[in-house]
Amino acid sequence: MALSTERLGLYNPEKPMENRLTDLGPRHFWQYFPPIIQNNYGKWDYHDILEPGILVHVAEGGDKVFTIRVGGCRFMTVENVRELCEIADKHCDGFLRFTTRNNIEFMVDSQDKMEALKKDLNSRKHVTGSYKFPIGGTGAGITNIIHTQGYIHCHTPATDASSMVKAVMDDLFEEFRGMNLPAQVRISMACCLNMCGAVHCSDIALLGYHRKPPLIDNEVLDQYCEIPLVIAACPTAAISPSKTESGKKTVKIKNERCMFCGNCYTMCMALPLSDSEGDCVTIMAGGKVSNRISQPKFSKVVVPALPNNFPRFPEVCADVKKIVNAYASDANKYERIGDWAERIGWEKFFEKCDLPFTDHLLDDYRLQYDTYRTSTQFKYTDASWAVSKAVNGIK
Amino acid sequence: MPTIEFEGTSYAVDEDGFIDDFVNWDEGWMKCVKSSEGIEELTDEHKKVVEVLQAYYKKNGIAPMVRILSKVTGYKLKYIYELFPSGPGKGACKMAGLPKPTGCV
Repeated sequence: MALSTERLGLYNPEKPMENRLTDLGPRHFWQYFPPIIQNNYGKWDYHDILEPGILVHVAEGGDKVFTIRVGGCRFMTVENVRELCEIADKHCDGFLRFTTRNNIEFMVDSQDKMEALKKDLNSRKHVTGSYKFPIGGTGAGITNIIHTQGYIHCHTPATDASSMVKAVMDDLFEEFRGMNLPAQVRISMACCLNMCGAVHCSDIALLGYHRKPPLIDNEVLDQYCEIPLVIAACPTAAISPSKTESGKKTVKIKNERCMFCGNCYTMCMALPLSDSEGDCVTIMAGGKVSNRISQPKFSKVVVPALPNNFPRFPEVCADVKKIVNAYASDANKYERIGDWAERIGWEKFFEKCDLPFTDHLLDDYRLQYDTYRTSTQFKYTDASWAVSKAVNGIK
Repeated sequence: MPTIEFEGTSYAVDEDGFIDDFVNWDEGWMKCVKSSEGIEELTDEHKKVVEVLQAYYKKNGIAPMVRILSKVTGYKLKYIYELFPSGPGKGACKMAGLPKPTGCV
């Protein structure tokens, strides 16, 4: 590979604005469409899932497109992308696409080509034994996990993204390659509560969370930070302006008001709060974005804190598995996790998933009142019977 | 912390070339930034933007929002980019000696 020397020449640091191209936008998608997609654009009749990971779309004129969806790890080397290109060159005339959950889709126009492509994809493995291009992710299964940067690139995470996603997907790999659940289960992951991605609206969401207030670097805070921004960044108004003994401007934090969101660190690098013991993983459940049957929902916190046990996160994997198994065995067809939990009642959700309910799960932020139960309608659960017995209530 | 030597003065800067402390700013720093930010010549308009930023920072403790900078100087955002090719944050704030912009930038 060499730097481009054609047309506009090399970048000249002496004259940065010379021959500068800007505001070109992305390339138009039409030129990357396979011919069969171009020809049948807007003329699709129906589609079918032939088997997990393989779709066929039939156009009004009778043209068929076979799509093979394979899992992608999202963080990819150029070598990995070149291998994708090589497969696309060999089987798909050089065309491929990525899905909104970072899976990769190869499209071919005949059954024979599809079989050859499938065989090729299944044969490719990393030296360590992992599938390079596992086929799946369609229908009522578990597809790719939307996730974030983690320790690879970000400065505010409370946990790591790629390693946790790998651990959870390893555990749920059979669900990726199968379509045996009541409905699709969307799992997503964010490494701090900035929630980059889809954790707030996913069936199961994994979220990095801090449990200690920030340290304050008084000596340099005023130098590096715009103090009013730091104060305004706090959702609970725990931060107020202050002065050090030597007269430097700084801030003080009421620790009992701090809920460790880390927003102030985002605005000010003199307030770090990452902590190897305090940082943990929260699990949320029951969100969705589609409007099918029920309205879109936010996911709700169901597990307040699990330890960051690198690199395989066994506690996180176990709890995700508990939720998936309870849901798979109990929910009706087409019911998403949130629909199921709301139908049986959240108290039954906790019982069936075998998850403890703690005071951390009670909302106490501003609009919390609507999340409390203002009704006598509830079901007795093992946990409520245990409380009753403990206080000599109804036997 | 690395330092930059420029015309006999040394400035402590971070890895992005922002000055360590607003109080260490001087006229020489503007020339120093000019060379690294793709600005051909320092004009009165550059100085006006820098003065507005510094006055706002001294008074309020934060950098102004882009719309405020535009309104006070009378320069549209497009013109601010002509003056400072890296933009109001990375270009103008750096030259004015303000702290590095934070948040999801």
